[in-house]
Amino acid sequence: MFRRLPTILAAQFLCAVALAAPVKTPHVEAELIAERTAFEPGRTATVALRLKIADHWHTYWKNPGDSGLPTRIKWTLPESVGAGEIQWPHPGKLPLGPLMNYGYSGEVLHLVEIATPATLRPGDTLPLKARAEWLVCKDVCIPESAELELVLTAGADNGQPDPRWADAFRQAREALPAPLANWSAEAGLNGRDLTIRLQPPAGTRAPASSLTFFPERENLVEAAAPQLLTRDGEGYRLAVKLMEPVPQDLGAITGVLVADRDWPGLASRKAVQVSAKVGGALPPAKANADAELGGSLLLALVFALVGGAILNLMPCVFPVLGIKVMGFIEHAHGERRLRRMQGLLFAAGVLVSFWVLAGVMLALRAGGAQLGWGFQRQSPAFVACLAALFFVLALNLLGVFEMGLRVQSLAGNVSVRNMRFDAFSSGVLACLVATPCTAPFMGAAVGFTLAQPAWASVLVFTALAIGMALPVVLLSYFPHALALLPRPGKWMETFKQAMAFPLLATVIWLAWVLGAQAGNDAVLALFAGLLLIGIAAWIYGRWAHSGSLWRQAAPALLAVAGLAVAWPTHLVAPGAIAAPRAGELPWQPWSREKVAELRAKGAPVFVDFTAAWCITCQVNKRLALNDAAVVKRFAELGVTPLKADWTNMDPKITEALAEFGRNAVPVYVLYSADKNAAPKLLPEVLTSSIVLDELNRLPKASVAVANPVTR
Amino acid sequence: MKQLLALAVFAALPASALANAVVGQPAPAFTEKDLSGKTVSLADYKGKVVVVEWNNPNCPFVEKHYTKSGNLPALQKKYGQDVVWLAVNSTNPSHQDYMSNEKLSGYMKANNAAPAAYLVDADGSMGRAYGAKTTPHMYVIDRDGKLLYNGAIDDKRGTNPDEIKTAKNYVVSALGELKDGKPVSTPTSAPYGCSVKY
Repeated sequence: MFRRLPTILAAQFLCAVALAAPVKTPHVEAELIAERTAFEPGRTATVALRLKIADHWHTYWKNPGDSGLPTRIKWTLPESVGAGEIQWPHPGKLPLGPLMNYGYSGEVLHLVEIATPATLRPGDTLPLKARAEWLVCKDVCIPESAELELVLTAGADNGQPDPRWADAFRQAREALPAPLANWSAEAGLNGRDLTIRLQPPAGTRAPASSLTFFPERENLVEAAAPQLLTRDGEGYRLAVKLMEPVPQDLGAITGVLVADRDWPGLASRKAVQVSAKVGGALPPAKANADAELGGSLLLALVFALVGGAILNLMPCVFPVLGIKVMGFIEHAHGERRLRRMQGLLFAAGVLVSFWVLAGVMLALRAGGAQLGWGFQRQSPAFVACLAALFFVLALNLLGVFEMGLRVQSLAGNVSVRNMRFDAFSSGVLACLVATPCTAPFMGAAVGFTLAQPAWASVLVFTALAIGMALPVVLLSYFPHALALLPRPGKWMETFKQAMAFPLLATVIWLAWVLGAQAGNDAVLALFAGLLLIGIAAWIYGRWAHSGSLWRQAAPALLAVAGLAVAWPTHLVAPGAIAAPRAGELPWQPWSREKVAELRAKGAPVFVDFTAAWCITCQVNKRLALNDAAVVKRFAELGVTPLKADWTNMDPKITEALAEFGRNAVPVYVLYSADKNAAPKLLPEVLTSSIVLDELNRLPKASVAVANPVTR
Repeated sequence: MKQLLALAVFAALPASALANAVVGQPAPAFTEKDLSGKTVSLADYKGKVVVVEWNNPNCPFVEKHYTKSGNLPALQKKYGQDVVWLAVNSTNPSHQDYMSNEKLSGYMKANNAAPAAYLVDADGSMGRAYGAKTTPHMYVIDRDGKLLYNGAIDDKRGTNPDEIKTAKNYVVSALGELKDGKPVSTPTSAPYGCSVKY
């Protein structure tokens, strides 16, 4: 405190007088400058308060955000001379821990129009005096001020642009928010969620992929809350979080929208002024017909279709697909019509399952619950049941027992009704087991639906389902593709038995997932339960056909007992991260605060959104993230690795994922040392070279941080 | 794909971990240690009106109301009989504005400040629960523990102590209206000052 007091006092009373020279305060160089060499009496002349702010310090916009103070100019002017309001260039975001400020760094010009008297003659001078006051902050805040002067000279016309400041004025004018002519703006308020809807005039396309809204009114918008941009037809929707309580008198919302590129028809202008009338919740967004535009529904549908097809290749679907393909071979000697019908029924099973999922998801979303793809996996009971199901299926494939239906199928004597049910239910089963697999495209597609109206979500889910069912349907329609498969024969039994092992491998994986969720005891209980279920299956297979009621009931009782034993009863607390082992990244637990804190320090951060039940995550960790070169590069660049473990449902992580438009893991996010740079999302399937490339692409500044910042 | 992702990445993640104490709702409970190490909870003051003031002596806006004017110390004394006035410091110990309890005591004494307690919220938990953004940031809590006021100390947003004379002090008017049994005319305002150094 006392070591800094003299600085503050010095700053407080530092009010030097400028004639032409700029005034230097401890953190700012200030001066009044004129745009042109002369002014025409009776017209306005543009002058500017120019602040050159010391590196890493900042001054404030007219709404300073969560803290701070706008810069002020108090004019002392000759009679009959008037000064207009400050024309504020658009601000930037200045995050500060959990707070957010709006302001300027580097050099900023505050433009002011001066109305000059018509009575002056060419050659006359017009002295302007102003006291400028600003708050300049870094970690600490210093109020500074300067007494400034500028003498304008009247001319026959308004002279030439002053060459010293021509560039500065041009840039300042480009940074002024432009009026957004012919666009329509409206806003919908739903609780604390305000959605600003912008529609361009016909024939105009809104190309920006990022928008930031800076509200004019203070204490209205939650400044630090992320703003969500979605497409609405050719325009935008920007969702903004309001502070509580929302003002009763909020008739309209005005502010500045800053895009990441020029607005259509406004060269070099990234900022526009918007004023939107606030009404009730907005109607659903319009789909965008132009597939070139990011975020259009069509694009999401294409991704969903491809993602669904890729699901067939995922390890957790493949065994089921194998069973299905086997079914085709069994029936290949049957009628073509039956085969096709089977394919379509399989597709129907997939569709219905996805619709049920979509319905559940929408219902939960409507209920305010946070939901993500693969959420079933977060319930230990579901994991245990799935393990039991896969175990039973494996035993079945190994021939420990055979279901009546299967025996008949193999004999080629299946009734039409049973076959239909079989096809339909294998579609359902395929979906059930597909849930934990996030194919590379699917995360984005499903994430997209979170911000979409219900009908769009259903469409995306439908596309996913069609994509998933497509290969099987195609096989059923094009038997010549089937001909590529081996003829039915004895090998089928061998193949069937072999298919048991991927299922057993899945059981191992599920047991491991359960261990991560509910601890060692739960795994022991699961295996004990599986043992009972195994005995039940064996009894059923060996004696069930002997007719005795008891022999039918015993396996059922044993199976129920097995499930009861396997049922997990408690969860272990998540978040505990094992001490880093040699040769692995020194993970720290993720939290929003931690990210903000590290970023505030200018430290690059890598976040791994992961879960024990996510196979892709584990593969990436083993093969890419724990690669020796990657670990070394992390240390060299001082990148702090944070792990967001989603194994058990953590709503904070769900929320963070939603902010990236995702609701499934893995998601990898790399923040550079530049606080204002958008984070970079890495692909869902990583290789060490992808990670190294991204690390090497970090701005040079971050290399200066020698060690990971830990606290 | 890329475009879709770019769209999905709509904002950086310095997102607010601040809650916000909302007027009309129960004020967030807290338990903090004061400068002498004594534990202080909101529950201790049930039945009393509580004023909470966010403080950081190194902030020029706080100086405006302390060293430069004696405004806040005078208010603490004036209302000391009727209300429980709590000063809170949420400065992170790693920040250069952080002061030891000893130095804070010295500062308060030197300024004749007399809050009922000066709470040390070094981990920022109380500040985050209240959504304290600036120093000063003022809160008034009624006898039932309900929040009556959340916002700035007054309507003159600056560091010049001369402004205090003509300023409308929101806390003073809220306390006055409470005493007269009237509703608080300005229950919220935008706080101004330095950011709280979380």
